[in-house]
Amino acid sequence: MSVVSSLGAQDPVPDLTPTPSAAGDVAGRQRSMARRMAEVFFENKLGVLGLGILVVLVLFCFLGPMFYHTDQIHTNIDSTTLTPGSPGYPLGTDQEGYDELGRLMVAGQSSLEVGIAAGLIASVVGTLYGAVSGYFGGWIDALLMRILDAAYSLPSIFVLLYLAATVGRSKFTLIMVIGLTLWLLLPRLVRGETLTLKTREYVQAVRVMGGGTNRIIYRHILPNAIGTIVVSVTFIIADAIFALSTLSFIGLGLESPQIDWGGMLNSGTSYVFDGYWWLVYPPGIAIILVIIAFNFIGDALRDAFETRLQKR
Amino acid sequence: MIAYIIRRLIQGVIVLFAVTIITFILQKLLPGDPAIDLLGAKANRVQIEQIDHLMGLDRPFWVQYWKWLDNLLHGNLGYSYKREQTVNSLLAVAMPRTLVLVGESTIIAVLLAIPMGIVQAVKRNTWFDYIATGVSFTLYATPVFFLGLVTLLIFSDDLNWFAPTAPSADGIAPYLTDWNAMFLPVITLALPSVASYSRYVRSSVLDQITQDYVRTAVAKGAKQRRVLYRHVLRNALMPMITLLGYALPALFGGALITEVVFNMPGLGLLYINSAEQDDYATMLGLTVLITIATILGSLIADLGYAAADPRVRLTDS
Amino acid sequence: MSAVALLEVRDLRTQIRLKRSTVHALGGVDLTVDVGETLGVVGESGCGKTMTAMSIMRLLPNGGSIVGGSVSLDGRELTNLSEDEMAEVRGNEIGMIFQDPMSSLNPTMTIGLQIAESVLLHRKATKREALERAVDTLKLVGMPSAAQRAKNYPHQLSGGMRQRAMIAMALACEPKLLIADEPTTALDVTVQKQILQVINDLKDRLGMAVILVTHDLGVIAGSADRIAVMYAGKVVETTDTKTLFANSRHPYTEALFEALPEKAAESGDRLYSIPGLPPDLTDPPTACRFAPRCRYAQDRCRGEEPPLTGETQLHRFACFFPTGSVERAVGGEVVAVEQDAVDHDLGAKIEVEVRTDEGPALRVVNLVKDFPITAGAVLRRKVGAVSAVADVSFEIYPGETFGLVGESGCGKSTIGRLLVGLERASSGSVRFGDRELAGQSDRRLRPYRRDIQLMFQDSYASLDPRMRVKTILAEPLNVQRVGDRAARAARVRELVDAVGLSQSALERYPHEFSGGQRQRIGFARALALNPKMIVADEPVSALDVSIQSQVLNLMKELQRDLGLTYLFISHDLSVVRYLSDRIGVMYLGKLVEVGPAESVYSKPVHHYTRGLLDAVPVADPSVEQEKESKGVTGELPSAIDPPSGCRFRTRCPAAQSLCAEQEPPLVPFGPDDHFAACHFPLREASAGE
Repeated sequence: MSVVSSLGAQDPVPDLTPTPSAAGDVAGRQRSMARRMAEVFFENKLGVLGLGILVVLVLFCFLGPMFYHTDQIHTNIDSTTLTPGSPGYPLGTDQEGYDELGRLMVAGQSSLEVGIAAGLIASVVGTLYGAVSGYFGGWIDALLMRILDAAYSLPSIFVLLYLAATVGRSKFTLIMVIGLTLWLLLPRLVRGETLTLKTREYVQAVRVMGGGTNRIIYRHILPNAIGTIVVSVTFIIADAIFALSTLSFIGLGLESPQIDWGGMLNSGTSYVFDGYWWLVYPPGIAIILVIIAFNFIGDALRDAFETRLQKR
Repeated sequence: MIAYIIRRLIQGVIVLFAVTIITFILQKLLPGDPAIDLLGAKANRVQIEQIDHLMGLDRPFWVQYWKWLDNLLHGNLGYSYKREQTVNSLLAVAMPRTLVLVGESTIIAVLLAIPMGIVQAVKRNTWFDYIATGVSFTLYATPVFFLGLVTLLIFSDDLNWFAPTAPSADGIAPYLTDWNAMFLPVITLALPSVASYSRYVRSSVLDQITQDYVRTAVAKGAKQRRVLYRHVLRNALMPMITLLGYALPALFGGALITEVVFNMPGLGLLYINSAEQDDYATMLGLTVLITIATILGSLIADLGYAAADPRVRLTDS
Repeated sequence: MSAVALLEVRDLRTQIRLKRSTVHALGGVDLTVDVGETLGVVGESGCGKTMTAMSIMRLLPNGGSIVGGSVSLDGRELTNLSEDEMAEVRGNEIGMIFQDPMSSLNPTMTIGLQIAESVLLHRKATKREALERAVDTLKLVGMPSAAQRAKNYPHQLSGGMRQRAMIAMALACEPKLLIADEPTTALDVTVQKQILQVINDLKDRLGMAVILVTHDLGVIAGSADRIAVMYAGKVVETTDTKTLFANSRHPYTEALFEALPEKAAESGDRLYSIPGLPPDLTDPPTACRFAPRCRYAQDRCRGEEPPLTGETQLHRFACFFPTGSVERAVGGEVVAVEQDAVDHDLGAKIEVEVRTDEGPALRVVNLVKDFPITAGAVLRRKVGAVSAVADVSFEIYPGETFGLVGESGCGKSTIGRLLVGLERASSGSVRFGDRELAGQSDRRLRPYRRDIQLMFQDSYASLDPRMRVKTILAEPLNVQRVGDRAARAARVRELVDAVGLSQSALERYPHEFSGGQRQRIGFARALALNPKMIVADEPVSALDVSIQSQVLNLMKELQRDLGLTYLFISHDLSVVRYLSDRIGVMYLGKLVEVGPAESVYSKPVHHYTRGLLDAVPVADPSVEQEKESKGVTGELPSAIDPPSGCRFRTRCPAAQSLCAEQEPPLVPFGPDDHFAACHFPLREASAGE
């Protein structure tokens, strides 16, 4: 493809005005905003793929154990490090005798739960922080942004490890701790959106008709910012799953007998040296799959929210 | 521009200040008591109180903070009771190694990512772009530790091309010269960066290509190569300066994990060991150091960008 | 006239392939341009004029390609050149300038280097020689302090200077043809005139030909020798300028002229608005493209495509049943044979009554608005102020339309915002009826908001894209708690009707409407609370002429029906003149002249008003030829540090030392409420009766 043809004028958005025949009439089918967005989402093949992967993984992790029973609490010294294909153990066993496939399912439950919960908490906190900062402006904004800058400079993994080491490692605490380190990602974005929207003319129009701050925020700013927020939430959830798996890998994540995908790789290096490849690949691939899935979904959602502005 | 520099410097100082407060609060979260660390679990209350008094732990909050801040300003990052060494001495040994790791992987990442991103942008929507995008996505979604394990499995275990662990000798020389041992860790840290930087370059170049001034350049009769190199590239890559500056926290985090996987005794491994030993003083000191490095990094990045972009350099608004 | 044209475009067809459809942007365009002449290509948005320019230069966007026809420059065919060969033509034999000089210049390269690049690409020259040539070219285009400016970056220059730099860049290699795509649309009117003059001068000096693409008939009237009118991807009429304006033959051209506010400014007649919208070019019509909207259309028009032809080769049009007078070629010129006076009955003139006996509806006294400029990293200190509105006073009577004109930065928009409470005045008084509005808090203002409403310029940004029209229209009623649910629903239906949209519009979202329709929705919203007064801030500036007329007619009708008072803010003098009873002229925060529309127009007092009137392009070639003055010279001073005394003195031909010392007060110039602020006005002051 010649560069010159991709240089020069932009990809055209032709002035395809809708097909009304007379000045007053407007043709075209009536479709609600939600339907239109769903349509765009499903047109995005990667988004559908991501959604599919996620659904499969959720089913695998939560419904799987109901059909495929394994004991993930008690170790079994007799059947340690069996290779995949050994009778009764399709994916083999690990050093403590746990069935790998079953472990994969149960670990997935924790990974997903903690990841989604932490991601949601981080998103809510981050959104409110950014919205307040952006809407009120002035010294409030300046102060909140400086605090944000400071928090941003702290290396998150280090802080994460520190908190995990000092505060504790129950599922709940981990969710809070991870959420606490991830909330940083949204405020700037939301603040930016709020600032832009605040100066939009349709917001000014509300002031001209006598509308107050509440109405403006709840009926105009938030609904229009929701697109960016939702898209970011998917990415934050992916980050949360990432963070938990890293913590568990290092050994400061969930405490046994609770397990997540990262924790299954805790002895990863020794697995490598001993050549136990079937203990290394499955959990890692699972993590990669779920994160890719959320990324695809996020991208497709971004498109879906954008096209509301374009004509059909 | 001078106004901008001053404003930015003041901002940096304020942020540093806020960071010290945050870190100090983190410190106060610690369970246990340094006195017990020192005296052992069997110490009686009087002894504890004596030590507390000596260490100034019975003074009010802000006094303790002030003293800590004062120490900090003199370069004293604390004392590890567990290891009976100053944090500074621990860092002095570990830091250079981590710096080599981080430095080398960043250079490699940038050298790979820029051409890749450019080619992806110019040849967008071709099979090259799709494959590169797919690879980037996958790399981006791969936790660093898993990447490390996989590279170990494939390159070290199966193929036996490289050593499975990083050098652990004293001094800095081995880290700069022992390619065999450093290759895997550096690559492991570099690859995810390559993924995200090349995506960034791709979208930045694409962004610029659709700008009006590119149309003007073509209208003047410039051919595609010239337009790309003399117009687009500069404007597209300029924001990368800021990107790199702000990437430091993530980079150190990645380095931590890499050092664990490859058993390299740098800052990261030091940190983990301290966590396992409950050596909170070292953990805190390290965190503060890295944070300061991050703040400085972003400051340099911002100033560098301001110097490069004439729109910032030549107006004061 | 030379025998062989410099540029010949024959049956040019261009397509743009999109994801799911193909837009046939040009369906067979025919043009010629001779050496030394300016061809104006005029039309409304979507007609293909820009696409024609891009096709000549082969600068088509992604997916675009020329699929038929020929473009030949000096006998050499351009459409089948290789990309490299074309690159040698661009910038060398054909130069091009674009609409927005800010985005069209590389922000990180000095303009000297950018101009020099042109030279380096096509001539054997060293960098130093190229830079010297760049400075020379800058002098040629009238750039002040050319050598210094060459070292500047685009953001350091004003809009007019940037456009000059662009022209310099296009002309550095002395091309045979200059294509100018809307070169002045993004500039202020006074700067516009300067730039057009530069282009004209250079055309003569360098012996070039110029293609001037624009939507502005006034610009064309003043600058073009020949004109091609385009519609829906084809040329529908082409001839020399004088003939086009005197005797247009194509119904579309005629309709355009009748939609222009300046045609009806004096009579106050209704404007013609072309019904419907241009055809969808993904499925172009096979018959006459204008037929569905043409008032003369007959069966033949709907079945066959009319060729571009005429009684003489000098005036060609694509219509089976042309309007105007039949012509004959006499001595190289076209002469109309019969006088065909077709007077179209556009309906009764809309008569609006100004109720002067009731006392002023709005009194603005000594209104001041300063915007503070802050600096400092932590504590924001005030380091200066932008004097946006500097002591302005005027009155508006009920039922009247008061037009506020001026260029960008004059403060007219700020005044509009002050009146509706979007900004708080720094000092001064705004009395609406018997109530003081200035300086009140939002809460205090709330009940009074019903009486003054605002109509925005950008219809797209002023409607919440996530709300349906019925919700948008109901919102003011909800906020002010008018009536109950049923009453509000009824009112919403009423409003949609009043602005001429069908009821089905209520369920739709803003992006489903065209620009003109969105403006009507905005208007409907402004009417929802039954206001006494509406501030309209550039309500038609973003619309095509034929759509503009719809909205203007509507505004006038509703004003008559509802007894509305308007403050009409615009930079477009012809629109303001058409609609307004009285006009106020603003410059750099000051009201420099105010009076009845006709009086201000025909007998201006202030030098700025005179300059502005001269600069505004009028769609009448004879008027354009007769304009004597050069408009307004110089650059706009800073509003942060405005000139002392009279703010206009830095650009005023009559300025003297008194003007710097003392600020001129507004004094009367006649019995008809005509005031101006000038020490040395264009005519003598006389006290009112």
